[in-house]
Amino acid sequence: MADQTKGGRRGALKTLAALGGAVGCASLAIPVTRFVLAPESGSGGGGSWIKTVPVDSLAEGEPKRVALVADHRDAWTLEKHVELGAAWLEKRGGAVLAWSCVCPHLGCAVGLASSGPGFYCPCHDSSFGADGERLTGPSPRALDALATRLEDGFVLVEFRRFRQGIPEKEPVG
Amino acid sequence: MPGLRAIGDWLDERTGWRGAARSWVDHPAVGGGPWARAMGSAVATCVGVLTLTGLVLMTGYAPSPQGAWASVAFTQFVMSGGWLLRGVHYWAAQALMVLAALHVLHGAFMAAYRKPGEIGWWLTLAVLGIALAQGITGGLLPWDQRGWWARVVEGNIIGLAPVIGGWLQRMMSGGAELGAIGLARLYTMHVLVLPLVLVGALLARRALALRASAAAPDAGGATVGDRVAPGVLIASIVVMALFGLTCATHGAPLDAPADPLSDYPARPEWFLMPMFALRKLFHGSMEFWGTSIVPGLAAGYLAALPFLDRGKGRCARVIAPVIGIFVGAGLLALGAIRHDARDAGYQKARAKADVQALLAGKLSVEGVPPAGALEMVRRDPELHGRDLFDRHCASCHVLGDLGDPEKATATKLDGWGTVPWLEAMIHDPDAPQFFGRGPYKGQMPSVDARPKDKAPGAKWTPMVKSDADRHAIAVFLAAQGDAVAQAGAPADHEDAVRARGEKIVSDHCTSCHLYKGEGDDEGSKMAPELAGYASVAWTRAQIANPSSAETYREKALDAAMKKHMPRFDGDLSAADVEVVARWTQEHARKTSPKPIGRAPAGD
Repeated sequence: MADQTKGGRRGALKTLAALGGAVGCASLAIPVTRFVLAPESGSGGGGSWIKTVPVDSLAEGEPKRVALVADHRDAWTLEKHVELGAAWLEKRGGAVLAWSCVCPHLGCAVGLASSGPGFYCPCHDSSFGADGERLTGPSPRALDALATRLEDGFVLVEFRRFRQGIPEKEPVG
Repeated sequence: MPGLRAIGDWLDERTGWRGAARSWVDHPAVGGGPWARAMGSAVATCVGVLTLTGLVLMTGYAPSPQGAWASVAFTQFVMSGGWLLRGVHYWAAQALMVLAALHVLHGAFMAAYRKPGEIGWWLTLAVLGIALAQGITGGLLPWDQRGWWARVVEGNIIGLAPVIGGWLQRMMSGGAELGAIGLARLYTMHVLVLPLVLVGALLARRALALRASAAAPDAGGATVGDRVAPGVLIASIVVMALFGLTCATHGAPLDAPADPLSDYPARPEWFLMPMFALRKLFHGSMEFWGTSIVPGLAAGYLAALPFLDRGKGRCARVIAPVIGIFVGAGLLALGAIRHDARDAGYQKARAKADVQALLAGKLSVEGVPPAGALEMVRRDPELHGRDLFDRHCASCHVLGDLGDPEKATATKLDGWGTVPWLEAMIHDPDAPQFFGRGPYKGQMPSVDARPKDKAPGAKWTPMVKSDADRHAIAVFLAAQGDAVAQAGAPADHEDAVRARGEKIVSDHCTSCHLYKGEGDDEGSKMAPELAGYASVAWTRAQIANPSSAETYREKALDAAMKKHMPRFDGDLSAADVEVVARWTQEHARKTSPKPIGRAPAGD
């Protein structure tokens, strides 16, 4: 009988030791999880103002594809002056409009429509009007307009990426 | 959880996994006391921790000479939890080596190598060998100074081995020198080949131990819980100890990026220090004995123990060399470490390497260029400019602690371009810290001191009439090299002084000097351009080519000008010239001149 009690106590002690030990070992999961989930908090959606072409180089009412050149940070690498993406710029009166070249559907590069004004995505045949509005095809929303401003005669574009495939225009990062 | 049990039953019916799992944990107690079992648990924990942390670290690692250091630095300084993972991985690796060595010692004392334990003994030795090989291959992966130089030296030692040495070295280095292929090969060894061999060796050892215990009478009484609970407890203690060591040492070491052109004080890892010390005992052609033959004989002795000791009793004569090997290795390593601790030269070089590691780490957080971490180092004045100055400029010039003030033949650059330096310089150009020891001695007159060769009564007019004017010249010239003044500094009370200085320079100095390309009425083609004097651009132009029109002009490279400053645009790349110019310009202004000989200014 006494032996059994002793065994019971020892058993409880062992369970406790095993549990404590398991908790100790599980502490390793903390840095592991933080490291693995680190990309979740990463940026990369842009949101920076990028200097592009002189406003004089744009013709009234004619969209022009311009490269968005800036420093690119990819994890540890910093690349100076690389093309991060492109935008369609169009001068209308005193203002300059800009649309991202990335199709809101699944991210292909949007070009000009071959017939008439507007834009066209060659991957899945989405077409957009002269104001970037959605006309036909699978794109869930209009082309993503980008903010612009003028400075010293140059057009500055606010470079951003948006989530693809959803009706809302939701910035990434 | 009946659902879970149902799934388990379904699987068991088809795979019999329950029986397999039971046979894995539910076996007769393995021989050896609690001490041996604790060691086994600790080894298993280290291997488990190394596998887990290693796998996670791999997800943030780029095995290329361009990316390796940058990615490790990113893990260390940027990724959350990264430094902890690196630290725990590093310390688990060190712990595994110590445990494996203790296991060998323990086995030797218990005569575990005797029949039928020979295979188990060799597997124990193999585990130690693989643990060391993992330490060596893993040490290279950060591609930092520490790991790279240690591997270069070890590669050359391997290269000295008879017959196959050179071939083996090329296979491991991936070519004539340690490069991209070498890194990729050692990386593959580290993350795939060696871990598989290690786990294989550990499993084989376990199978042998089980076979031995099945043959022995059952110890009895031990349940699964009896074995698992202490094991888990030990695992937890090991994990806590690894965290403790990591926090106490701020994680694993990371030196500056590997730089084949640097003068790094290479040392091997602690577990190779015995061989480092042993090498010093053998000279000349005998060196190979220290680096390879003696360690090889020691390893061979351990491996041959089953054949050397077939006796039944304890054999002190067989064990004594084992103790000798381990104690000898320990003493050699301690001796080498003590020697380094007392070696002022080594300590200085080590301190410099530590500073560079710190600077490179800080720099990496801003991002590393695509060309790699070495490119980052080479473009940074702090990391590379000082080295370049030391190597190319300090044989003639002095700046701070670089250069020998006794042997310097060119201008001492402490304070170069500052107002006090300029004022002292134009007062006494032939002072030893200015032109006194170089080819320009006697070429430039003082602006206000009477030349020594003028007869006492002869007529002589100084260029400047007052100390205030001399000061004005210095203020004006100092502003030439000042980036802030160049960029159009706001008007201040010194504006008038600068303007006065400019007027004096234009009126008097341009009879020999150029100012903004104008002057040199006497056609000396020797006195330098003063516009931008001691600015970064001026310094860059002067280093690239002293005879450029923007600096010391045509006669600067004249054969008659003995010991003149050479042009460096052939020896150094444009980028290196830029880096050393930036460093020199900045540090000259930061360093205050030390009085040498007589006082630098005034009479």
